[in-house]
Amino acid sequence: MRDLLIVIALTVLLLSFGCEVEDPVREDVPELITKVTLTFSPTVGDPVVVTATDPDGEGVQDVQVDGAIKLEATKRYSLSLTLANGLVKPSDPEYDVTEEVAAEGDEHIFFFSWTNDIFSDPSGNGNIDNRSDDVNYQDEDTNGLPLGLETSWTPGAASSGEFRVVLKHQPDLKSATSESGIGETDLDLTFTVNVE
Amino acid sequence: MIYKYTILLTAAVFLLFTRSAAQECNGTFTGRVLDEANQPMIGATITLSQGQKGTITDAVGNFHFDKLCKGGYTVKVQYLGYENLEFEITIAGAVTKILHLKEDVQQLREVVVEDELEHTEHAHNLATLNSKQLAESAGKTLGESLKEIPGVNSIQTGPGIFKPVIHGVHSQRVLILNHGIRQEGQQWGAEHAPEIDPFIASDVSVIKDASSIKYGTDAIGGVIVVNPAPLPETAGIGGTLNIIGQSNGRSGTVSGMMEGGIKNHDGWGWRVQGTAKRSGDFHAPSYMLTNTGIKELNFSAATGYHGQQFGFEIFFSHFNSELGILKGTSIGSPDDLEKAMERSTPLYTAPFSYDIGEPRQEVQHNLLKLSGHVKTKRGELRLQYGFQNNQRKEFDLRIGDLSNTPELNLRLNTHTIETEWETVPSEKWSFSTGATGMFQQNRKVYGTQRVPFIPDFNNISAGLFGVTKVHLDEWTIDLGVRYDYRYYSVAGYDYKNSLFRSTLQFNNISATAGATVGLRENGTLNLNISSAWRPPHVAELYSVGTHQSAAANEYGFLLNDSTNEVLDIDDVSFKTEQALKFVTTYQHRWHDFTLEISPYANYIFNYIYLRPTGISQNVRGTYAYFRYTQTDALFLGADLSAVWRVHPSVKVTPKVSLLRASDARNDDYLVFIPSNWYEVAIRYDRPTFGPLKNFFVESKTKYVSRQNRAPRVVTVKELNDAHDQGIDPFENDDSNFDFMPAPSGYFLWNVAAGVSVKREKTQYDFRLGSDNLLNTTYREYTNRFRYYADDLGRNFIISIKCIF
Repeated sequence: MRDLLIVIALTVLLLSFGCEVEDPVREDVPELITKVTLTFSPTVGDPVVVTATDPDGEGVQDVQVDGAIKLEATKRYSLSLTLANGLVKPSDPEYDVTEEVAAEGDEHIFFFSWTNDIFSDPSGNGNIDNRSDDVNYQDEDTNGLPLGLETSWTPGAASSGEFRVVLKHQPDLKSATSESGIGETDLDLTFTVNVE
Repeated sequence: MIYKYTILLTAAVFLLFTRSAAQECNGTFTGRVLDEANQPMIGATITLSQGQKGTITDAVGNFHFDKLCKGGYTVKVQYLGYENLEFEITIAGAVTKILHLKEDVQQLREVVVEDELEHTEHAHNLATLNSKQLAESAGKTLGESLKEIPGVNSIQTGPGIFKPVIHGVHSQRVLILNHGIRQEGQQWGAEHAPEIDPFIASDVSVIKDASSIKYGTDAIGGVIVVNPAPLPETAGIGGTLNIIGQSNGRSGTVSGMMEGGIKNHDGWGWRVQGTAKRSGDFHAPSYMLTNTGIKELNFSAATGYHGQQFGFEIFFSHFNSELGILKGTSIGSPDDLEKAMERSTPLYTAPFSYDIGEPRQEVQHNLLKLSGHVKTKRGELRLQYGFQNNQRKEFDLRIGDLSNTPELNLRLNTHTIETEWETVPSEKWSFSTGATGMFQQNRKVYGTQRVPFIPDFNNISAGLFGVTKVHLDEWTIDLGVRYDYRYYSVAGYDYKNSLFRSTLQFNNISATAGATVGLRENGTLNLNISSAWRPPHVAELYSVGTHQSAAANEYGFLLNDSTNEVLDIDDVSFKTEQALKFVTTYQHRWHDFTLEISPYANYIFNYIYLRPTGISQNVRGTYAYFRYTQTDALFLGADLSAVWRVHPSVKVTPKVSLLRASDARNDDYLVFIPSNWYEVAIRYDRPTFGPLKNFFVESKTKYVSRQNRAPRVVTVKELNDAHDQGIDPFENDDSNFDFMPAPSGYFLWNVAAGVSVKREKTQYDFRLGSDNLLNTTYREYTNRFRYYADDLGRNFIISIKCIF
C-alpha cells in the first residue's frame, strides 16, 4: 500500500503543474479571400458593381452574389477586380488581398471566360479553355506578362449569359503560354451577365 | 475504487488457479535459442544433466522437453562457433526460456539468459523484426521497415512518409513505445510519420493484440515497441558503422554507434549513436517525383548502471528531419485535383535535384528519459520519467510572400511519469501494478498567418493498472485491468478567426485476458481478448479547414452542422471510442516446417472517422466537406506466415496478410484500408564460404491485390454538376466515397545478396539489393500520392555494416 501512496502523490504532483491553457495569440490571415468585387466602369456614367461574398470562409455556407452584371450594349467598360477578406474589419491590414496579388503579379494570372459572343471586344468565349484566345488585359507583371486585375470589355448585342473569373497561382510556371489548368486555384467564380 | 477491483480480480484469478501441484514427472521445458541478433539458431544442441536427455532446436530455433520430473537440472547449450552456455534450472510445471548464445569472436555483450517469468507482461500475439532483419532494411524509415510483418501496412505520403498501420488502423489508434516511452508527436495527421530513427533500435516488436495495458490508452490496433539493445555492463568498447547508398533518390545514409563499459566498474555502460541521411528527388519508373528529397540528422546518447540490486539509465535522443512533398500535389481546389488525376506526368516535374522546396515539412523531436529500478526480496520497483519536445512546421505554396512562413507551426511538450511494482510470489504467478501520468501542452507558434487547423490545448492524463500472469500446467494466463482519466483544456480560433475555449474530461476502463497453451507435441495456441479505449484527439473534435494536399474541408466533431460554431461536448452525443479485439495465434512445428496463423477480429464501437457530409462553395471552387462522425467499425483479418526449410541452407518463407474492414452501422466500406498481400521469399544461406561468412541470396516476390472493398467513387465533376443543379449529392446517400477508384493490384520483385568478412575484432557485412527490380509501374492504394503520381521505380541499395 505504501507504493500506492507514492503513486498517488506523484500523480497529484503532476496535476498541480497547472491545468488551463492560456489564450493563443490571434493570427492575421492575409490570404483568405471571402469577398470579390467586380467594378465595371464605363467611360461615361456610373460604374456597375457586383460583389461575391463567402459568409464563412472555410465554413459550409455557399458564396452569395448580389445580382447580375448589367451592362449597356453601347458602352466600353474597364473592369477592376478587388479581393478582400470580409471576415475582418475593413480597417485591418489583412482586409485587402488585392495588393498581395499585385505585388506577386509574376506568379498570378486571372483568366476569364464567358458565353460565346456576349462581348464584341474581346470576341469569342475567353481564355480559360485556350490561353491564346482574346482577353484585353490592361496591366502587366514585372516580366511584362498580363495579370488581369485591370481589363477592358465592350458588350455585344443585348443578351444574357455567364461570366467566369479564375485566379491562378503559378509560381515558376507563369509564362506567355501557361494555361488556366496549371497551378493552384486561388479564385474560381461564375457570375451572370445581362447586356441591355 | 478501480484499484480495488484490480486487486479483487487478481485475487480471484489467483484462487482459481492455485490448484494442487502437478504430478511428479509431467514437467515441460520449452523455449528458443537465439543468437545475439535474435536470429533463431537451428540445430543447437541442448542437454539436460539429470536423465541425460538431449534435443536439437528446430527450423525456428525452438526446443521442447516433456515428461520431466520435478527437480533441479543443469542445462547445456552448444553450437559450433558459439560459446557454450550452461546454467541451473528448477523444473516444476511448464518452464519457458529464451536462450541467447554468444558468438566466439565478439566480446561485446554478456550471455543473456532472459527468463520470461521476469516480465509479467507477456503479449500473446507479437511479431518482431530482429537486428538482422532491421539491418536488411537499413536506410528505410521505421514505418517502411515494419511492412515486412504480416498484418502491418502503412499509410504513405510519397516516398518519405510512412505511418504504420496495424490490422487496418493507424495514427491515434496505434501506440508507439520508443525506449519504453509513449511516443507523443502530432500523430493525428495521416502525413505525420513517427519521429524515430530506426537505427536506434536493436529490434522492433509489433504487438497485434491490445494487451499492452501498462502503457495507457490508444492501443486500439496494437503497440509498436522500439527496443534498444541493453547497455554494456562490462569493460570494453565496441560499435557499429552503417553506410548505405540508394540509387532511387541518389541517397546516402551514414549511421554510427559506439558503446562500452567502464573498467573496474562493472555494471556501468554508455552508448552514443548518430545518423545522417540525405536524399534527393525519388523517381517513378517513367518520371521524376520532383521535390521529394529528405534531410535527416539524428543522434542519441545513453548511460546507466545495472547492478544486482538496482539500476538507472539516462537517455537522450534528437530527431531532425526535413521532407519535401511532391510538388505536383499542390492544389488549390477540387478542380485542380481533377486535373492532377488526369495528368500522365505530375505538374512541376523537373530534372533530378537535391533541393527541397514548398510544400515541405520540418520536424524535430527530442526525448529525455530517466529510468531506474530497485530490486528487493519481495519484488521490483521501476520508475520512469520522460520529456518529449516535438516541433512540426509545414510549408505550402502560398499567396503573398508567405511561402517561407509555415502554414502549420506546432510545438508539443509532453511529460510522462510511470511507476510500476512487480512481484513474483511464486514460480506459478507474478503480479504487477502501477500508475502513469502525463502532462502535455500543444501550442501553435505565432506567425503562421492562417486560422490554426487545431487549437492549443493542455492534456492531463492519469492511469492505474494491474496485470498478472499465472502458470498452470501447459497454460499460461495473463490478465490485466486499467483505468484512465484525461482532461483537456482547449483554446483556439474558429472559422471566423474568433477565440473559443472549452474543457473536456474523459475516463474509461481497459481490460485484457490472454492464454497460451501448448497443444500435443508441436503446437502452441495463443488466445487473447482485450478491450481498449482512447479519448478523442483534439484534432478530431475541433479541426477546421483544409490540410496539406487534401482537396476537402475537414470539420471537427464539435462544430455545428450548419453554422460551424464550436459546441460544448455536453450538447452533442459523443461517446469515447472503445475496441473489443480478439486475436488468436496458432503455431505448429513440423520437422522442417513451421506455420503460424493468426486470425483476428476487432470491433470498434464509436469509431471516429471523416464522413462526407456535403458540398460547399468558397471563392476557389466547390468542395466536398467531411465531418468527424462516429460509427461502429469491424476489422476482420488473418496473418499467416510459414518457414519451410527445403534444404539445410534453403528457406522458403511465405507470408499472407488478409484484411476486411467495414462500417458495421452503415453497411459500408472504409477508405484507405490496406488491401490483401501475399509474399514469398526464397533464401539461400551458407554460413561459411571460403574465407567469407554468412553468405546469402534472397528473392522476394510480393503481390498486393487491388482493394475491392473500397467505397464508391464520386468524381469532382459529379460534385460540381450536383452543385450547379442545386443538389446535395450526400442528402440521400452519405456513404463514404473516394475521388478515384482503387488502383490495380501489382507484383513487386525484390532481390538481395550479402556476405560477411570477419577479422579478429571486426566484422564487415556487405549487402547489395534491389527493390522493384522489374521497374514495375504501380500505385499503392494506401499511398496518399496515388491521385497524383506512380509509386517508386527500381532502386538499387548497397550497404556496408562494420561491427567492431
